[in-house]
Amino acid sequence: MSGGPGAADQAAERQAGLLQSVAVNLLGVVEHPVLGDSPYRIDADGVPYVPVGDGGIVLHLRLGDSAFVPAGDHAAPGACLVHPDEAARHALVLYSCIGNEAEVRTGAAVGARGAIVGKRGESGRVIVGFRQDDLARMRPGDQVRVRSHGQGFRPAWLPADVAVMNIDPALLAALPLEAAGDGADRVLHAGVRAVLPARLAGNGLGRPAAGWDLDLQLSAAGRDGAEDLLLGDLVAISDIDGRYNLGYRRDWLTIGVVCHGSSPLPGHGPGITPILTGPAGMLRARRDGAGHVGLTESMLQLQ
Amino acid sequence: MRAVSNSARVISQVLTGQVWPALADRHGYRIGPDGQPFILPGMGGVTLGVHCGDRATGYAADHLEPGASVRHLDPAANMAVQFLSCVGNQVRVESGPAAGEIGHIIGQHAYVLVDFPEPVAARITTGDAVTIIATGQGLSLAEHQAIVLKNCSPDLLEEMPGGSRLDGRLAVHVAARVPAQAIGAGVGMISEYANTDLMGAYAGLGEDLSLGLEDLRVGDIVALEDQDHRYGRGYRPGYLTIGVISTGQCMLFGHGPGPSTLMSGPADAFALVDDPEANLASWYHADPGAGW
Repeated sequence: MSGGPGAADQAAERQAGLLQSVAVNLLGVVEHPVLGDSPYRIDADGVPYVPVGDGGIVLHLRLGDSAFVPAGDHAAPGACLVHPDEAARHALVLYSCIGNEAEVRTGAAVGARGAIVGKRGESGRVIVGFRQDDLARMRPGDQVRVRSHGQGFRPAWLPADVAVMNIDPALLAALPLEAAGDGADRVLHAGVRAVLPARLAGNGLGRPAAGWDLDLQLSAAGRDGAEDLLLGDLVAISDIDGRYNLGYRRDWLTIGVVCHGSSPLPGHGPGITPILTGPAGMLRARRDGAGHVGLTESMLQLQ
Repeated sequence: MRAVSNSARVISQVLTGQVWPALADRHGYRIGPDGQPFILPGMGGVTLGVHCGDRATGYAADHLEPGASVRHLDPAANMAVQFLSCVGNQVRVESGPAAGEIGHIIGQHAYVLVDFPEPVAARITTGDAVTIIATGQGLSLAEHQAIVLKNCSPDLLEEMPGGSRLDGRLAVHVAARVPAQAIGAGVGMISEYANTDLMGAYAGLGEDLSLGLEDLRVGDIVALEDQDHRYGRGYRPGYLTIGVISTGQCMLFGHGPGPSTLMSGPADAFALVDDPEANLASWYHADPGAGW
């Protein structure tokens, strides 16, 4: 907890005309990685490589580790969940929010508790963090219950034009956020690792922010001031509006949680799951640099 | 001086396809930049009244695909059609009342996009069969090895003004220069497929959305700054990509008029020449309304 706005006050929310958000239990299935007939993808320099870590269960990669994963392609910290039915898979991804509780229902790790740390777009994946000893006992095909909660949630203390998405109501207050001022002057200040320009927004542009991550076009060689981005960090990107689809809008700001690691593919890189978006005057990012603490394992009780 | 290419050694393949229907789902609406729901035509079928040389924006349309939108029924054969078809390739109509008529490919957009003169396009519809003479992938420039060509027919290369300069750079005439922050949906995809949507060209919407790209025309040759499309599409300072605007107006946010990739390499391998006539209409279907 870091001096955030405090727990959402349901009475205040009702008074503000806000609707009560609803939780839904959904079923996710631990993904098996899939590859095409050719093992190779082509990196930005035209060099073929075999993608490792793109979906499924990735061991020993944790929140707080560097998002620049040299041997990985979109590697995510934990297990990716999918659903065999395409429409159910999209619903799982759209409704699941960072911080939501997950529980393994089948297999050797039955009963293990985890938490959503992010999600990815295209076909859709929910990324769930588990303790490493639980993760080591899991295998693709294991069924996981997700208590999906957060879409539709809007705390009364948010500035009027700032939108929130993809975050569990109970977790939002634990992030480095501070609201100040009243009425039209209300401003939400967010502590972040880095503030990046719109030109670094990559894959995910033009897609719905409620179900996609936004890749940052950063490589270990050219981090453009992003320093050592860590998994779980909050990152702000300027002039990107994520209320609906992700796209360019001057004087706007979008803040997300780094949910997967780097990629050799051009146009790809560490991905953020957007959680806040609003006019730059109402949503401001404070560069905390090396002192930044974003989403952590202790916050999610994964230690 | 005309750049020396390997065009004599580039092979041609005969491909088939059909004009593909416009597609929708039963919920219909998609969402614009300000949250406005919309149902607008533009993708699939045969989009009439918009050709190379016409403005790309300002229509009540989404992902406007000028002319006929073509795919192959078989998924794997379709990927061959999408990957191997190049801008400038000839397309012949094989069935229906327009059988025998010839059009030209102006780009890809998960469909191969074929522009015809308006009187021809008016007689084509969904399901009409076409033959594509695909040629251009593998084209290269002996004296400009740092530049990768793709989706560019030898015929188009021959028609484009510019060429090799004494200082070793390739002169390319462009109708517009596009800043990196305009790059939207399509980034991260392979550059032999579909195109790169440009944001900042929402004619008639807010000033805060504009990057000054509302005057683009269909068929414009454009330069994308800091974009490396040699092996996919991504941001890379010091690189440059040449494309051709093959799709127009979008209402969907994060999308917009789209260039199909033609050339990409280090920026200092190019010498750009600003030229408002750098448009496919200068070389193909110069007067589309009149027939030819």
